[in-house]
Amino acid sequence: MEPPAMENKASEPEAKLLVKQHIRFLKRTLGILPSSCESLDTNRMTLLFFAVSGLDLLGALDSVSQEEKQDIVEWVYAQQVLPDKGCPGGSSDVGGFRGASFLGMPFDLTKRSAGVCNDCSHVAMTYTALATLLILGDDLSRVDKRSVLQGIKKLQLADGSFAATALGSESDMRFVYCACCVCYMLNDWSPIDQDRVAQFILKCQNYDYGIGQRPYLEAHGGSTFCALASLVLMGRLHTTFSPARVEGLKLWCIRRQQTGFQGRPNKPTDTCYSFWIGATLHLLECASWVDKLWNTSFILSTQSKHVGGFAKWPDTHPDPLHTYLGLSALSLSGDLELHPVHAALNISQRTVQWLHHLHTTTPPHSHSM
Amino acid sequence: MAEETAAEGYVPYRSRPEWKDITPVPQDDGPNPVVSIAYSEKFRDVYDYMRAVMQRDEMSERAFALTADAIDCNPSNYSVWHYRRKLVQALGKDLREELKFTVSVLREQAKNYQVWYHRQKLVELLGDPSEELVVTRDVLREDSKNYHAWQHRQWAMATYQRWEGELEFVEQLIGEDVRNNSAWNQRYFVVTHTSSLTDEVVRREVDYTLGNISKAPNNESAWNYLEGVLRGQRLRTYPGLLDSCEAMYTKGIRSPFLLGLMVTMCEEEIADGGPKAAECCSKATELCNSLATSVDTIRRNYWDYVQRRVKQTYQTTVPTAV
Repeated sequence: MEPPAMENKASEPEAKLLVKQHIRFLKRTLGILPSSCESLDTNRMTLLFFAVSGLDLLGALDSVSQEEKQDIVEWVYAQQVLPDKGCPGGSSDVGGFRGASFLGMPFDLTKRSAGVCNDCSHVAMTYTALATLLILGDDLSRVDKRSVLQGIKKLQLADGSFAATALGSESDMRFVYCACCVCYMLNDWSPIDQDRVAQFILKCQNYDYGIGQRPYLEAHGGSTFCALASLVLMGRLHTTFSPARVEGLKLWCIRRQQTGFQGRPNKPTDTCYSFWIGATLHLLECASWVDKLWNTSFILSTQSKHVGGFAKWPDTHPDPLHTYLGLSALSLSGDLELHPVHAALNISQRTVQWLHHLHTTTPPHSHSM
Repeated sequence: MAEETAAEGYVPYRSRPEWKDITPVPQDDGPNPVVSIAYSEKFRDVYDYMRAVMQRDEMSERAFALTADAIDCNPSNYSVWHYRRKLVQALGKDLREELKFTVSVLREQAKNYQVWYHRQKLVELLGDPSEELVVTRDVLREDSKNYHAWQHRQWAMATYQRWEGELEFVEQLIGEDVRNNSAWNQRYFVVTHTSSLTDEVVRREVDYTLGNISKAPNNESAWNYLEGVLRGQRLRTYPGLLDSCEAMYTKGIRSPFLLGLMVTMCEEEIADGGPKAAECCSKATELCNSLATSVDTIRRNYWDYVQRRVKQTYQTTVPTAV
């Protein structure tokens, strides 16, 4: 599918942030989604994260009632996979969060006799679940941290990368990032081999200095962000990449700007890359190289005037992912109507402050890895 | 919805006599659900039964058939795919038939992670990658930059050491679209895994790339490939490269990649404290100005940074200079 031609636009491109419309769009996301979202059934946790974090950046969390916030927290905790005793094909001592209730486990934890067969957590859902809880001010006291971390440990492969579920899945940079976020949030890196992660990332830096999902795969904005953010969260950026590699990566990234950003050379610009590449440039401390006007104009042009939200391209149907990443990218570029975002964790700075507060006040759980 | 499904001849599972013994399991999101999806009748029916059999880990033909409906409703449900893999093995299903099934899903959903992973697992079980190059080629014909297809193709080639014909395939794609970055990336993959970057191979690759650059001087993919195959070598003294660049410049070509490479070659000379360091410093400064003010203005802040860096390098390596 080709992006709509820019020159056919009859009207003026949207120049301002449609705050009210986006709040409405995200609140609708929290409610009922149309059947066209059926393919996102296993990913509802990510949709929840986009909505809650998006409202947070818009400073509109208080438009969600205390009751509804509590409903959200309860639903998130209901997706926690708890260690269970010997269900064939299920988890034994591994935890984490699942994306939704599609396997039919009872919502009420007291009604559960045992684990559900074929059930497992998913690392991206664990990341977005923890993030959502933190954004809503939860102290993570109901998170079975030990089993979550055990779950992360089970996902790392010999090459240093991560799969998403204990039952097996593809492995690539997306899940490296999610695993690192979980360890950072739980303030415990013991389940993962950071050296191997760094080695994997190094192998994924391609001949053009961009970073692919796996070694030898095409350099891509999404995997580049995942790699950089992982290294920054581990505190290993400059011990992994030489100055030459860092300089090359910076140039690869800044060359993605066309108006907004593209994800790969010679591909169309897409709002989400304003975040993936924009955040990478922040982490590399060269965000000042971005032409803000072109970037923000493009992102704003992908807003949906009537429905709210952002899409990948102008005149295209909006979705929660592009909405959240559009907002996050605008926040990074300094939009004063949005709360500041933490480039590596992709949640508000305010939430990260709360997280750091938890780190200093929560006693560490027992380490028995 | 009911009219629609009846018209197709589709019978809901809850009306099928052979499923009478199964109590469907509805999804339970509690009293106050969030991010709820308004599932169609068919989706709900299929998944209420899918949940029921998965919870008992039922290994049966009817469960296997149900997974096809569940996948049709939501091909991204990795739990259903995992369960289907267990059924394929438990029931001794024909793996080649199952490969055909993945092709039918790929036709609709070529960007779905789960179907590609399922195919990979089947190929591993069979130990037979013979179809993978054809399947990925067909997908790439529809979308020559499909990341999943390229990933699967690279996996099959590297795992089973199937390299023959790939350079030709890559050249065909570059011939069709010289700006196809995925094709250039694949070229690097093939060359480094087969012949490796010997002097002879690098020469061949540089000439091939310069030929493609002359056709489209503003094509980032080719320029990135050029610098990629020359990584670790001194660009300024690579035979013919500086001459080729200067010839393009003289002809009036103002590609930001050409000028960027010329700046890089100047910086090399300066960093080495070579005889032309002073000349290179002023040349690089001029090029950076040109880039910042007319050739690549969107990146003016970057080119200003490079200009400062060039001057700094000059001042630290040529301390007697003013």
